[in-house]
Amino acid sequence: MKGRPGIAGQAHPFTLFSVVAGVAALAFLLPAPTGPVLLYVTVVALAILTGAGASVARAALICLPLWVLLILLLAVGGDGARSAIGPVTVSRTGLEAALAQGARLGAVATASFVLFASFDPSRFLDAVAARGWSFHAAYLVVATLQAAPRFRQRAAAILEAQRARGLRFGGGPARRVRALLPLTAPLVLGMLSETDDRAMALETRGLDARASRTPLDPPMDRAADRVVRWSVAACVAAAALWRLHALGAF
Amino acid sequence: MATPAVALHLEGVTLRYGPDDTAPALADISTRVCAGEVTWLFGALGAGCSSLLLVAAGLAPRHTGGDLAGSVTALDADPHSPAGRAALAGRIGYVTAAPAAQLSGVAATVWEEVAFAPANLGWPIERIRAAVPRALARLGVGALHHRDPATLSGGELQRVVIAAMLVLEPGVWLLDEPASALDHAGRLALYEVLREEARRGAAVVIASEDADTLLGLADRMLLLDAGTVAVDGHPRDILAGNAAWQHRAGSTATAALARLAARLLEPVPSGLRPPYPLDIESAIERWR
Amino acid sequence: MSPRLLALIPSAVAINLAIGFVVNQLGLPLYLDSVGTVLTSALAGPLAGVVTGLVSQFVRSLYEGFIWLPFGGVQVLIALLAAVAAARHGFASAARSLAWGLAVGLSAGLLSAVISWFVFKGVTATGVTAVTLLLTRLGLTQPQAVTTSSVGTDLLDKTIVFLLVGAMLRALPLRVLGRYPPARRAVAR
Repeated sequence: MKGRPGIAGQAHPFTLFSVVAGVAALAFLLPAPTGPVLLYVTVVALAILTGAGASVARAALICLPLWVLLILLLAVGGDGARSAIGPVTVSRTGLEAALAQGARLGAVATASFVLFASFDPSRFLDAVAARGWSFHAAYLVVATLQAAPRFRQRAAAILEAQRARGLRFGGGPARRVRALLPLTAPLVLGMLSETDDRAMALETRGLDARASRTPLDPPMDRAADRVVRWSVAACVAAAALWRLHALGAF
Repeated sequence: MATPAVALHLEGVTLRYGPDDTAPALADISTRVCAGEVTWLFGALGAGCSSLLLVAAGLAPRHTGGDLAGSVTALDADPHSPAGRAALAGRIGYVTAAPAAQLSGVAATVWEEVAFAPANLGWPIERIRAAVPRALARLGVGALHHRDPATLSGGELQRVVIAAMLVLEPGVWLLDEPASALDHAGRLALYEVLREEARRGAAVVIASEDADTLLGLADRMLLLDAGTVAVDGHPRDILAGNAAWQHRAGSTATAALARLAARLLEPVPSGLRPPYPLDIESAIERWR
Repeated sequence: MSPRLLALIPSAVAINLAIGFVVNQLGLPLYLDSVGTVLTSALAGPLAGVVTGLVSQFVRSLYEGFIWLPFGGVQVLIALLAAVAAARHGFASAARSLAWGLAVGLSAGLLSAVISWFVFKGVTATGVTAVTLLLTRLGLTQPQAVTTSSVGTDLLDKTIVFLLVGAMLRALPLRVLGRYPPARRAVAR
């Protein structure tokens, strides 16, 4: 069976994207700070329950410096009535804003890393082809994911080659900025040369053919996937309606 | 005996890559390649072999830049027109010497790589599932079907790339040094596949310096020089004479023997004359 | 989309991502994550540049989390302005590249500031936010500090991007430029 291990790995690719989009929308629609905090807790709990605990840790690591900066900028440096927390005083509204924003970042980051850990490019391509959607758009994303490590390796090789030729990287900022061109130009020129060959190969292999692409092994869109997607859509719609009501729209 | 159909027809083809170029890459080339025929393009660097293949495939000047004069017809369609390209989708197999640049860029396995083109053309999945293992087996890479193409050696990758075209059973094959990444066994396997393709009725055009192996495969040779067809004939007749080394073509044993024999002609006029031996055994026999 | 763009765009996005490694090795406080976007706009026009920018932001979001997806708008703006620059021979000399780089840096910085403030409350990447924090300590209001740090960072970053891309385009042989008519206009050849 294709796909990554775990519940998230076996979900339909569109389900995971829907969940991330739903979490991002809810993060801003739900009343702050309670809404985003509860959302973050819920996302973390669901991630752990579906076997994606590593994604929770990774997201927290990414968000940690941002949380610290939020506290410093909005809470410690914020305006309005202040409260003492230990040796420092913090703005109460600033603290609430920092809490809400921190929870938003945490919730979206956690959902994103669960998605990435579960993302199978081949399943994604087949899911797009099975729906008859634009294969070219999906192709661009997956081809980039395959090309990125190759270009990273190439950049490292160019760096070593130029170092062996005597290029100096240290010293003042001006010298380091001047080193950018000899390090990046070979990468770009190589890219342009490869682009011609690859474009010809893609054409002869029918990438611009008028037929609709056959999915090779389309992932099953199970009832559970549809339930999850509709549930996310319903939650977002409800939150949006509540928000509009709170703003006095009706 | 029925006359074989013309699979590829170039008439008055001249190609210039850019305004800076003093000489055209191809100069007024007219030739026909028949179905079932293996045509070998042979020439020194810059002679125009690669350019001829690009023009025949409809890829130059569209992808390379430049200007093209003359007409090209492949399988009764014009590969330089949008309608012709649509009609020819999947029917021209174009392979170069650099396998990495010919990958789809999205396949996680060799199987997916070979299935990429048939899927793009909308083949039914059952047809794809039957054709892909067949193509892989013919190139001797069936056991690699589950491997990530990024982990393959150069020779394995080249076989996979050729399998990725073979699966389509194209009517015209255009190959530019397809065996450069292959070892001797790989080359022999490839040329056997091309021979079978010709027997199936495909027109095979191959540009290569590998005179030793292609001597036994090709039905016809076009010796190119400075963008023109200098000589058109049977490979044995051409290589056994002075034309090949006079046009500075080839670096394999066959060409070396021809040069050696020609050098031995001077300054002793009564020495060796054409036809020159084309392999070591014939040379030993001739010069014993 | 043509096979040429399908081949070009993933590589251009990969360059956006790979240059981060180079910048890291040089220890420069820059991103230069729009070299591929600007290059594609100059080579193939605004639509190709916009797609490169959007795919770039999407793929980066896959790697780093979708929290930064709103900055895709900045990539779109950079791509569009780069195409305008190319149409006006903006890469024909180092001086023109510098001028356009400053203009795009200012525009991108202002848009980044708006997104930073309204979506992220001024807390985005660590380096820029540290500058914001410092500026608030020096007496600027939070919106002023966010704007100043965003614009300052983008002015430097985009100027260097435009200088780099301009140098590379001017170094391309005519035969390569011939395949990309917008690039010929960009360098006035």
